[in-house]
Amino acid sequence: MSDQDLVVSTVREILAGHEPTQLTPDRRWDAELWADLAEAGLTGVGLPEEAGGSGGELADAVAVVATLAAGAGAVPVAEQLLVAAPAVLAAGLELPPVDQPLSVSVAGAVRVEDGRLTGTATDVAWAGVVHWLAVVAAGPDGDVLALVDVSGLEATHAANLAGEPRGSYVLDGVPAQVGPLPADLRARYALARAVQLSAAAETVLAWTVQYAGERVQFGRPLAKFQGIQMQLAQMAGEVTAVTALVDAAVQRLDRGEPVELAAAAAKVRAGAAVDVVARQAHQVHGAIGFTQEHRLHHLTKRMWSWRDEAGNELTWARVLGAAVAGEDPWPVLTGLV
Amino acid sequence: MPSTLTLAPAPPSEAAEAVRLEVREFLAAELAAGSFTTHVDTWLSGVDPDFSRKLGERGWLGMTWPKEYGGHERTAMERYAVTEELLAAGAPVAAHWIADRQSGPNLLRYGTEAQRKDILPRIAAGECFFVIGMSEPDSGSDLASIRTRAVRNADGDWVVNGAKVWTSNAHHSHYAITLVRTAPLDTAHRHAGMSQLLVDLSTPGITINPIRILDGGHHFNEVVFDDVVIPGDMLLGEEGAGWHQVTAELAFERSGPERFLSTFPLVAEFARRASSPAELATLGRLSARLLALRQLSLRIAAALDRGELPDIPAALVKDVGTTFEADVVEAIREVVDVPASLDSPDPLGRALAEAQLHAPGYTLRGGTNEILRGIVARGLGLR
Ligand SMILES: Cc1cc2nc3c(=O)[nH]c(=O)nc-3n(C[C@H](O)[C@H](O)[C@H](O)COP(=O)(O)OP(=O)(O)OC[C@H]3O[C@@H](n4cnc5c(N)ncnc54)[C@H](O)[C@@H]3O)c2cc1C
Repeated sequence: MSDQDLVVSTVREILAGHEPTQLTPDRRWDAELWADLAEAGLTGVGLPEEAGGSGGELADAVAVVATLAAGAGAVPVAEQLLVAAPAVLAAGLELPPVDQPLSVSVAGAVRVEDGRLTGTATDVAWAGVVHWLAVVAAGPDGDVLALVDVSGLEATHAANLAGEPRGSYVLDGVPAQVGPLPADLRARYALARAVQLSAAAETVLAWTVQYAGERVQFGRPLAKFQGIQMQLAQMAGEVTAVTALVDAAVQRLDRGEPVELAAAAAKVRAGAAVDVVARQAHQVHGAIGFTQEHRLHHLTKRMWSWRDEAGNELTWARVLGAAVAGEDPWPVLTGLV
Repeated sequence: MPSTLTLAPAPPSEAAEAVRLEVREFLAAELAAGSFTTHVDTWLSGVDPDFSRKLGERGWLGMTWPKEYGGHERTAMERYAVTEELLAAGAPVAAHWIADRQSGPNLLRYGTEAQRKDILPRIAAGECFFVIGMSEPDSGSDLASIRTRAVRNADGDWVVNGAKVWTSNAHHSHYAITLVRTAPLDTAHRHAGMSQLLVDLSTPGITINPIRILDGGHHFNEVVFDDVVIPGDMLLGEEGAGWHQVTAELAFERSGPERFLSTFPLVAEFARRASSPAELATLGRLSARLLALRQLSLRIAAALDRGELPDIPAALVKDVGTTFEADVVEAIREVVDVPASLDSPDPLGRALAEAQLHAPGYTLRGGTNEILRGIVARGLGLR
């Protein structure tokens, strides 16, 4: 077994004890799942041991995030492992203990002056749940990264389609550590969501194939109808395209090459697949898939939200398009992933 | 995802990047010298034997084949880089395309030593061109229903009667690998009794009739066989194994960059003027789709280098890729108001016209997308 297989099987074992549940304002995350993951050291994977992490490679962290996404784990692991913690380290700030959840805010209007934050951080993933927040803030000489303890702050109650908290914090002169803003923060955030989308789409395809093989109508499993086969094959095409591009973007990040455009492409492609995959999964599942009793909604609702978060297809397509536009687009494209 | 559909990532290849730059340099010089002009879908319609010969001289045909047959023993990744550069530039590659892509590999696998020695070096030199003789008037997707038949005569030669159709570029080519019935149809075993013949297209009794496609171009043909005598030693592979050989050949045919780059010259023309937010967004969306396809196609090239035959992912890439090729036209039309016309003073109008008039073919040739999705469904374990 490779390191990654080991990581994946450990995460799966832990997930097996935590059925995904519908998140509500009273149950905004899966604190027990987080505690189990933290105890196993999985909330520090891919972060250096000397900074308090558990060590391991980026690929291991991606494997943790993908496995949790596939299992609809309601914990801020993608934000912590792939976005906020690497940014905190890149900014030369002190990484908080990895068992205390850390998220990231790239939206809103926050100013920093004399080490204190003022303004509102919006669209904060897991607002009200996390202990720490890495915030993009405007300093006197441009944007910086600020790390702030939000454990004592109130967050507004806003949620995405799956009930994952996406509220705001009002910061009123809160003290923060401040460092230079890592250039690839937004791209990493987009790539993290793309990793989650890819894993969720793969799982939705697998569930749908399985369901089509079990559900019998007209005396045959649905899978035997050519119309259903066409739908599933089209879903498979989308999923395979997404996983290949997301993998390639992750590998580029792993090689330490500039990742902004590869992440842009991965987020656009993953977001674009959501409609086909989620729509056809629901169509094949029929009415049972339209209920909270069936597992399908845990992933389709997340996919509908994750495609919007960290920059939707439109936002990143413009970034990518602006880079590709010009006299000779081909060398740009071949050099990009 | 089922293992039939997953592919390991393609490791970066320095050799491929090196040859890519050589091809770019060559293409820039050829373009500057006016030896070709860029067009859409040139692997169907860009026939230029001189250009093919130049590629042969540079060692860019038969790249992966053994040296003893005129090949260059390079990797599938290197060949991938060469072919995608040629396609992206809209270079005239149709003359040699089929021979280099599938007939040569088919000969390598199933040909006799004499056939290989005679033919492969000429393909690699860009001097010998092949066509695919599979489809017939009454046999398209249901290829096993073909009726062209070959019967052995007293000398041991084959006497062929019947007709092939949609035979791209038969009028420019030397050989057709022709799928024929060598035993009568047994309805209980429809895939038995077929064989592949290496047919020299100059053999008496063969008539090649042009069929014009939507833009008026002559690429398609009907190839009629009237008591055509093919030497007995021109059987390719095993008698009766035609179906198996054809299926393997199609798997090779399906995964290359020509399955998503046929309309790239249109994308490039659009990229040259994209500047409004809507245009940039469209260019970005198209780029993301293209990049994903490219990763898939690269992974298949890497799998071929590992000696695998990833036939199911290849079908999937072709389905997703050819859908993309056709979608390009609609996506660009949504954000620019340039009428498509082959006579347009605007290069974008001309590229749109070429891409539109060729579009119905992308999702038909080499097995329709409905048939491909059936193959993917099999890979998903549904049938
Ligand atoms: C540009 C181009 C180049 C070509 N070049 C060559 C060549 O060089 N040599 C050669 O031999 N052939 C060539 N072909 C032919 C090509 O292989 C056939 O067009 C293809 O196999 C489909 O056959 P058909 O056109 O007879 O359509 P049909 O098989 O009659 O199909 C018509 C429609 O019905 C659908 N259909 C058929 N069967 C099923 C099914 N079981 N389930 C669901 N839907 C189904 C098809 O998907 C399609 O949409 C070329 C075609 C094109 C367009």
